[in-house]
Amino acid sequence: MKKPANYIFPLALIFAGGLLPVFLGAYPQAVARSVFTFMALAISWDMLLRSGQISFGIAGFFGLGSYTAIILSVRAGVAPVVAMLSAAAFAALVAFLLGFLVLRLRSTYFSITTLALGEIFKVIIHNWSSFTGGPEGLVLPQVVFGGKSSSLYWLSYAILLFAVGASVLFEKSKMHFSLTAIRNNEIAARTSGINIFANLLIAFTASSLIQGLVGGVHVMSYGFAMPDTAFDANYTLLPLAMALLGGIHSTWGPIIGALLLGVISEYLKLMIPYGHLLVYGLIIILVILFMPRGIYGLIKKERSKRNG
Amino acid sequence: MARIETKSLTKQFGGLVAVKNVSFSLSSGEILGIIGPNGAGKTTFINLISGIYYPTSGSVFLDGRDISTMPAHERARRGIARTYQLIHPMESLDVLENVMIGFIFAAGKSLPEARKSAESLCAEIGLSQLHRSVSQLTMLETKKMEIAHALANGPTILFLDEVMAGLNSDETKAMIGLVQRLAKERNLAVGVVEHVMGVIRELTHRVIVLEAGELIAEGPYEEVSKNPRVIEAYLGGAA
Repeated sequence: MKKPANYIFPLALIFAGGLLPVFLGAYPQAVARSVFTFMALAISWDMLLRSGQISFGIAGFFGLGSYTAIILSVRAGVAPVVAMLSAAAFAALVAFLLGFLVLRLRSTYFSITTLALGEIFKVIIHNWSSFTGGPEGLVLPQVVFGGKSSSLYWLSYAILLFAVGASVLFEKSKMHFSLTAIRNNEIAARTSGINIFANLLIAFTASSLIQGLVGGVHVMSYGFAMPDTAFDANYTLLPLAMALLGGIHSTWGPIIGALLLGVISEYLKLMIPYGHLLVYGLIIILVILFMPRGIYGLIKKERSKRNG
Repeated sequence: MARIETKSLTKQFGGLVAVKNVSFSLSSGEILGIIGPNGAGKTTFINLISGIYYPTSGSVFLDGRDISTMPAHERARRGIARTYQLIHPMESLDVLENVMIGFIFAAGKSLPEARKSAESLCAEIGLSQLHRSVSQLTMLETKKMEIAHALANGPTILFLDEVMAGLNSDETKAMIGLVQRLAKERNLAVGVVEHVMGVIRELTHRVIVLEAGELIAEGPYEEVSKNPRVIEAYLGGAA
């Protein structure tokens, strides 16, 4: 049952995360922002995964959010906060509408279609030069907070906390039951009164909203977007690897996985440029083969063993 | 008064007619046996009633209202529940959480309410140690959980698809007693698919017989079991 100790550790962690810029220099803060970005994406991916649907569309909605924010800023001159919230709203709207088509699909068909959606977004943006800047992309007149490192850190930290909050809400609410039931046995879920489509649509929209928001915040912090960078496959692959390593179907798993892989990859990037991708691939393969529940899955298993 | 009724219900899969022109009705407090050889269409029939399939032609009525194209989750919320022949419990959830699902989604309860209701339902049908993983259950416990899972919907109509299969004779007796008690206490309309004729004789008030998707006989078990057409369906033409 609920012990106060269960809240102390997460709250202390949240507090400590907020304090970091006081102690860290600009470079570690930048690394942390990158880790937070991928962590939030990993969490959002897992939220939909809990229904059994494997999306390869993370980069697609991330890029869509990036471009929404930067186009609104450059073409319409809206305030940064409006640009970032619009990024979330537009990604959610697109996911909601496309959900009526793609959520009829299951397993690999769903995965491949979400991958294709991301590519379609990219092609449209690539070719609609007059509006999107085409292959050269768009550049912001200035990034948010004038590029002040600690402010950017807190911004991306706030977005991460939003993603964590959404994920915990999914875990503690009826969504936990509906998504797990859909993943385990969709037919029995239907005859237990679960509206499969409505629940998948909520999960897909919420997950895409977070991805769009993260994209919007990312672009406002870095100041530019190009189709090749905004829709980079890494935005799909890295969160996926992080969630798998940390442990899927949980909030803690993607957090643990993103911390580990994020820090490791930052180090590897310096040691062997592009070689870090090789290491990623290796980790994914090893985890799937030997540790399908990830690190958090192992921790949970050990804990339940100890509790009898 | 008929709670659930079908009229000329037909389901075709490509060239195969799995259920053909079946008309039947089932009333509150009644336990109906649905029998027939393998492949007769019994499970398809239940799938049509619970909304897993929609009929090719013909209709399903709930309290006189045509629900032929109503989605399964809506039917669950209106009081139709069922178990499955091939049991696939939600293996990521523990026993209690499995039972909570129907309370949450079909009966529309909040999580704390659903937890309480699930606990008392499990106590009522004799399921304990509710935080076990479903893989740790015995066959009898698994079947009980299946029934609890269905009853959580708060059904007035319950279909049991081979709920006795895999049980030994003592367990079967206990299960028959449980189903009879639940049907009586809750005034349920119950449909039972079963292969063991002893169970059908003990448990049911009335039987319908399906063969190759068609309803070939209907009546009390004693009558139906003497029907030459039923005997032929079960034993083959040569007998």
